[in-house]
Amino acid sequence: MEIFVLVKQVPDPEATVKIKTDTELEIENKYFTNFFDEIAIEEALRLKEKFGGKVTVLTADPKRVDALRRGISMGADEAIQIADPALEGSDPFAIARVLAAYLKDKPFDLILAGRQAMDDDSGIVGIALAEALNLPHVHSIIGLEVDISRKEAKVIREVENGKEHLICPLPALFTCQKGLNTPRIPLVMNVMKAMKAQIKKLDLVSLGIEASKVGSPAIQAKVIRYLPPPKRPPVKMIKEEFPDNVRTLVRLLREDAKVI
Amino acid sequence: MSNEIWVLAEHQDGKVKGITFELLSGGVEFSKKTGQKVAALLLGYGLEEATKGLLPFADKIYLLEHPLLSPYTSDAYESALLPLLKDHQPSIFLGGATSIGKDLFPRLAMRLETGYTPDCTELSVDEEGRLTAKRPLFGGKVFAEMVFSGARPQMATVRNHTFLIHENLGKSAEVLSLPIQLDPSSIKKKVIKVEKSPGERVDITEADIVVAAGRGIKGPENFKIIEELANVLNASVGTTRAVVDEGWRDLKDQIGKSGKNISARLYMAFGISGAIHHVLGIGTCKTIVAVDTDPNALIFNYADYGIVGDLFQIVPALTEELKKILASEG
Ligand SMILES: Cc1cc2nc3c(=O)[nH]c(=O)nc-3n(C[C@H](O)[C@H](O)[C@H](O)COP(=O)(O)OP(=O)(O)OC[C@H]3O[C@@H](n4cnc5c(N)ncnc54)[C@H](O)[C@@H]3O)c2cc1C
Ligand SMILES: Nc1ncnc2c1ncn2[C@@H]1O[C@H](COP(=O)(O)O)[C@@H](O)[C@H]1O
Repeated sequence: MEIFVLVKQVPDPEATVKIKTDTELEIENKYFTNFFDEIAIEEALRLKEKFGGKVTVLTADPKRVDALRRGISMGADEAIQIADPALEGSDPFAIARVLAAYLKDKPFDLILAGRQAMDDDSGIVGIALAEALNLPHVHSIIGLEVDISRKEAKVIREVENGKEHLICPLPALFTCQKGLNTPRIPLVMNVMKAMKAQIKKLDLVSLGIEASKVGSPAIQAKVIRYLPPPKRPPVKMIKEEFPDNVRTLVRLLREDAKVI
Repeated sequence: MSNEIWVLAEHQDGKVKGITFELLSGGVEFSKKTGQKVAALLLGYGLEEATKGLLPFADKIYLLEHPLLSPYTSDAYESALLPLLKDHQPSIFLGGATSIGKDLFPRLAMRLETGYTPDCTELSVDEEGRLTAKRPLFGGKVFAEMVFSGARPQMATVRNHTFLIHENLGKSAEVLSLPIQLDPSSIKKKVIKVEKSPGERVDITEADIVVAAGRGIKGPENFKIIEELANVLNASVGTTRAVVDEGWRDLKDQIGKSGKNISARLYMAFGISGAIHHVLGIGTCKTIVAVDTDPNALIFNYADYGIVGDLFQIVPALTEELKKILASEG
């Protein structure tokens, strides 16, 4: 199987994010490979182990390649970075257009992405890429079984209060959710090797994309202001002894918060 | 341009989902400012009951009925909706931040080359019908206020409980049944089975009240006391990743960064330490209660009401107390 995996290096959930100006953030330099993208890499590697073929990790990011190196250290065969200063400030739709320009004439059976990137939390890039390539997609999968001879996949995706089982013809794009697998931890030796692995670098001109199709000029929904999370009033600790504290809690929930 | 506010209706077994009523209520509120008509887009097959349910909530119902539209697939919905969206160019198109809305809206927005803001927690309009959307980033560490360029529709998916349902909007919708042609070959995915989770409870993302326990519960069998509390409150049961990783609860109940974001009216956390990964998922809950034996547990920093105590003592007593009170009220 020929598989492409979309990966992104994102701020670690523990990194602090500060609002610098209305439209600028200051993000602590603590990054990791998007949690869901590692699940996507793992799934691709398992399919390769079963059916043979090749796994290519792909990122559209002018700055960070660590997600690609993570992919290589886990076992991916090739890494491709679409790097262009014009990408700076792109929204997920522009990223999808760029990835589509690269992938449109490549042979593949499957594209895997994460359910969402843990920075913008959009869940757009994978699905929008499927649209651009006219591929079927299944979002938020927690089960995957490929039938290579029929060129189709049995997928399970998470829905409210249940699971949806689907059959989807290949090639297709799936976005991966926790529960699909547990990503392997790469061996230290492979991490070292990945540091030196070759990364193929492409710019927008080579993909035939005009700069006006990416970056801030292409944005259809733009941020006018960053805001801190809504402030909660300070906690009210109920300090009475048991069981009075339980009664007080119930009273507060009814009379004060009016939620029950 | 039709200059309307559209809402994608979601329904299950003939019943329209709460999120749809919320969005229509919000849409009607907007229309008071903008003078626009509010329309529900109802897709599926065998829609009489759902249509009836929607009548008091919109000015119009666009009905798209076809066997291939049931059950939902993005393929079929997209084929049905794209020509309509291009034709009418509504001003605003809203959907739930649900397994349907989040699945479908990115494809539509990509094709229509219009703006889309996912997973919003607040929306407003000005007199000209320009939408401002607020959405969490970095799991809720910051929020972004976003506006749309000239392309229409302005598309957004919205979290449960962002708008309140107004039961008396004084509407009686005009039902417009639209002809629909679907090419079966354009529908590539096939749903073969929908496996419902056991039990009667609604999904934690939809629930009004969520009660949850973390590793402090010590074992899967002890969730019984949480279930009993949930029964009294008609709540759903959530948990932490630590518990899911132990295999004590199903992944679908996990709240937080790698689980689900909830927006409940009341969230109660028992024996949950309050790791950042967890609390990012509860940021938009209205009232939060925390019970933990450790007075320094981080969860207290995010709670409205806190008790330092043993959940094995507090939870059963709370259940009993609520039972008494709710019974006395009939
Ligand atoms: C990338 C990443 C993503 C993650 N995503 C998530 C996520 O989505 N959701 C999530 O929840 N976590 C997530 N985590 C894990 C998170 O960091 C914490 O490890 C986890 O939330 C802790 O769960 P807990 O509170 O149940 O357990 P603990 O941290 O062990 O806390 C148990 C608490 O129970 C209390 N306790 C013990 N006995 C009692 C008693 N008898 N009565 C009352 N209290 C008692 C203890 O004082 C303690 O505060 C993620 C971690 C990473 C690295
Ligand atoms: N810049 C990027 N390059 C490659 N893949 C990306 C990029 N941004 C997002 N993705 C993929 O798309 C998924 C969803 O991202 P998002 O739409 O930003 O939430 C991620 O989990 C990645 O798999």
